[in-house]
Amino acid sequence: MADPVPHSRRSFLKSLGVAGAAAGVAPAFLRGRAQAQDFQLKALDPAAKPGGTLRFGILNAPAHFDVHQSGTIANLGPQAPMYDLLIRRDPRDGNTIIPDLAYKWDVAPDGKRYTFHLRKGVKFHDGAEMTSADMKATYDRIVRPPKGVVIPRSSLFTAVGDIVTPDAYTIEFRLTEPRPRAFMLGAFASGWNIVVRKKSLDDNGGNLRQVMNFPGTGPFRHVSRKDKEVWIQEKNPNYWNKGLPYLDRLEIYNLPPFSPELGSSFLSGKVDYARIMDPVSWRKAKEMPGVTATAMNQSVIQAYFFNMKRKPFADPRVRRALHLATDRHVMVDVVKDTAPMQVGGFVYPFHEWSAPKAELEKRLGYQKDPKAAIQEAKKLMAAAGYPNGLKNLDFVVRDLASFKLWAVAIQAMLKENLNVESNLRVVQTSQWFEEAGSGNFDLAISAIVSSLMDPSDYFTAWYGKGGPQNYSGWTNEEFHTLAHNLEREVDESKRKAMIPRAEEILENDPPLVPVAWEQIYDAFYNRVRGQNATKFFGIYDVTRWDTVWMAQS
Amino acid sequence: MQKYLLRRGLFALGTVIGVSLIVFVVLRILPGDPLVALLGVEGHSKMTPADRAIIMKDLGLSDSLPVQYVRWLRDIATGQLGKSFFRGDTVRDLILHRGPLSAEIAILALIISWVVGLPVGILSAIRPNGTADAITRFFSILFIAVPNFWLSMLLVLALLFWFGYKSPIMVVQLWENPAQNLQIIIGPAIVLGLAQGAYIARMSRSCLLEVIREDYVRTARAKGAVERAVVLRHALPNALLPVVTISGVLLGFVLGGSVAVEQAFGVPGLGRALVTAIIERDIIVVQNLVLLYALIFVGVNVLVDLSYAWLDPRIRYQ
Repeated sequence: MADPVPHSRRSFLKSLGVAGAAAGVAPAFLRGRAQAQDFQLKALDPAAKPGGTLRFGILNAPAHFDVHQSGTIANLGPQAPMYDLLIRRDPRDGNTIIPDLAYKWDVAPDGKRYTFHLRKGVKFHDGAEMTSADMKATYDRIVRPPKGVVIPRSSLFTAVGDIVTPDAYTIEFRLTEPRPRAFMLGAFASGWNIVVRKKSLDDNGGNLRQVMNFPGTGPFRHVSRKDKEVWIQEKNPNYWNKGLPYLDRLEIYNLPPFSPELGSSFLSGKVDYARIMDPVSWRKAKEMPGVTATAMNQSVIQAYFFNMKRKPFADPRVRRALHLATDRHVMVDVVKDTAPMQVGGFVYPFHEWSAPKAELEKRLGYQKDPKAAIQEAKKLMAAAGYPNGLKNLDFVVRDLASFKLWAVAIQAMLKENLNVESNLRVVQTSQWFEEAGSGNFDLAISAIVSSLMDPSDYFTAWYGKGGPQNYSGWTNEEFHTLAHNLEREVDESKRKAMIPRAEEILENDPPLVPVAWEQIYDAFYNRVRGQNATKFFGIYDVTRWDTVWMAQS
Repeated sequence: MQKYLLRRGLFALGTVIGVSLIVFVVLRILPGDPLVALLGVEGHSKMTPADRAIIMKDLGLSDSLPVQYVRWLRDIATGQLGKSFFRGDTVRDLILHRGPLSAEIAILALIISWVVGLPVGILSAIRPNGTADAITRFFSILFIAVPNFWLSMLLVLALLFWFGYKSPIMVVQLWENPAQNLQIIIGPAIVLGLAQGAYIARMSRSCLLEVIREDYVRTARAKGAVERAVVLRHALPNALLPVVTISGVLLGFVLGGSVAVEQAFGVPGLGRALVTAIIERDIIVVQNLVLLYALIFVGVNVLVDLSYAWLDPRIRYQ
């Protein structure tokens, strides 16, 4: 079964929205389909022109340089422009899966074999040709990391058995059991899975943590870097995608998320594009002439966890009571000047399979008026044997502004609504994970992330039995069976039909209390063209800047 | 003199070794996992015990404490000062790149503290309990009482609203662009300088008040010397000794205070690097920077001790 190129033309056109735009875009796709083997990307705007420097403000202080091993934008922000992927999300809409180093792919009818055909003549920045040996080395490492190498996305590829290379330009992934196609293609297109040279891995014992400039095939090349200050890159003149990148130079400045430094640097014109702005600066930027301020959904849920090993929280009624007594609309409001958030439940609230917002807001726990939810919460506490509440709960809080604000608000809500008294214990991030991992808490607030919007990713990581981010230690056999089936079901309509039941289980037997779902605020001067981040899911998949161009240098 | 120098040097060395041992041990027994910063939240949650063992070995954290300490001493001896856990940059490069900014801030703060503190102290002493004395004492106590980081935040806000001040995003060295460099260091230097200036004003006032009542000062006046000459030529040099002593101590406060002040102003100096390293639990960077601060503090105090003989010829080192 051959995949058309691009992967989802219909969804792309839909995301563009207007018929006029579609009329302008369609010829580009028709070209892409007709010349599948030569698929080349370019900016949507025919006026796109080469030249100029983009000054980009983003967290640029990675703890190490190994993108595969990372889970932070501090790596992808500055490093992604130097690398390519096997397949990718279209940077023009952020969603459609399109060719990258693989110009086409086939999925076997039984969903157990993915074959990718690689471009010929693609060069790494050190001049070596990229072949299937490099791709295999990259994916061997991601799928089954060597000891001492931890790759958070390995769990997306648990079904991958053998990776074989029939020739220098073909790579085949053989699955031990079927997986949904959208899930697998989404996993391959994850921005984290940059393609690296086999030689780079061999020369460094498979560990690139302290190798700053290992060669990629991407549109930009390393020029210089000053730690925690700036990473400068230049256009790769030998880039395989003719005409790209448009920019001559990238200057990526280290400006931490939600920081006043980032906001003030953008507002004063020191950077052209700012990512992860604080809401106050973003609102100012929105009012500035010649500036566009955008918001996108992020792949992060903010939540507080229960220690299920401690008695009151083994009872689902107690957990649901706390869940209902937490007013999410207030939670979003509490941090409105610190970090942009939105209300949601246990499934990404903007995912097409989750309960629509209007429906969600009718549910207890999500209504704007919390009275009914609180009444129900009190009943549940009484039924569980705690009509007078709970005393002296140890509430471990990560030492970050939004968590501290929320913790105080949650503490007050639980006290006022359920007479649940807790003592806040603020700890550094490094200590939070020690405390959470060793079960040294009653309640603990933090954030957890997923790579994909597909529930099969985070149903395992967040809610799965022994899941790496299941800090509550939650188990529910019905849910685990459902998640197992969801992961193996290839019929998308059947998968979608499983979600409402999953949500119902999670609502009644909560593994955590969803506090808020993160959003990302970007702002850019209108001279920056070719980037529309409003439809992106998270900040990790589309960060290469190859279709971005400057209207004025 | 040589004996004194040797004794003083050994005492300073003992202090530095003591600091190194304390910081070395404390950093290793504090709670918190350095691998969280290294692997990130998601990676850390997926790390197996076998992975942990290998990574800790790679970082040199699985060795016994004496072995780790000796390795650190060896790194100091080679001048590399070890490598950051994370990016593999040497601490020496970090210090060479960011140290000049912090040094400039410290020196400028010290100059400001003397330029502001000494005249204020003299003014206060020559008209004790007058209006000028009351005003200067009020401001001296105010600047001593106000925490540096809070004053920094106020100043940053004032500069932002009135002059559109924006925190720097890059290190600009003095030799690269003096004007931009001054823009970066002036704010922290003023905040730190005013706080230390307040101490110097208080100390110089009280010392001058004591000296001014001495017989030789009365003699100078009786000989018909003008008041300015009496104060500046006869009284002040003898009153300066304790002020110089306190300046050495104050440098310690400047170094310590610079950590919070650099953070508030967003200055990419060593203080800020230290804060980041503490948050990341980059033990190698933290222990080297703390040791550097201790070395500077001890060194300056040795120099202050040695300067006594130069300031007061009656003092002899034995």
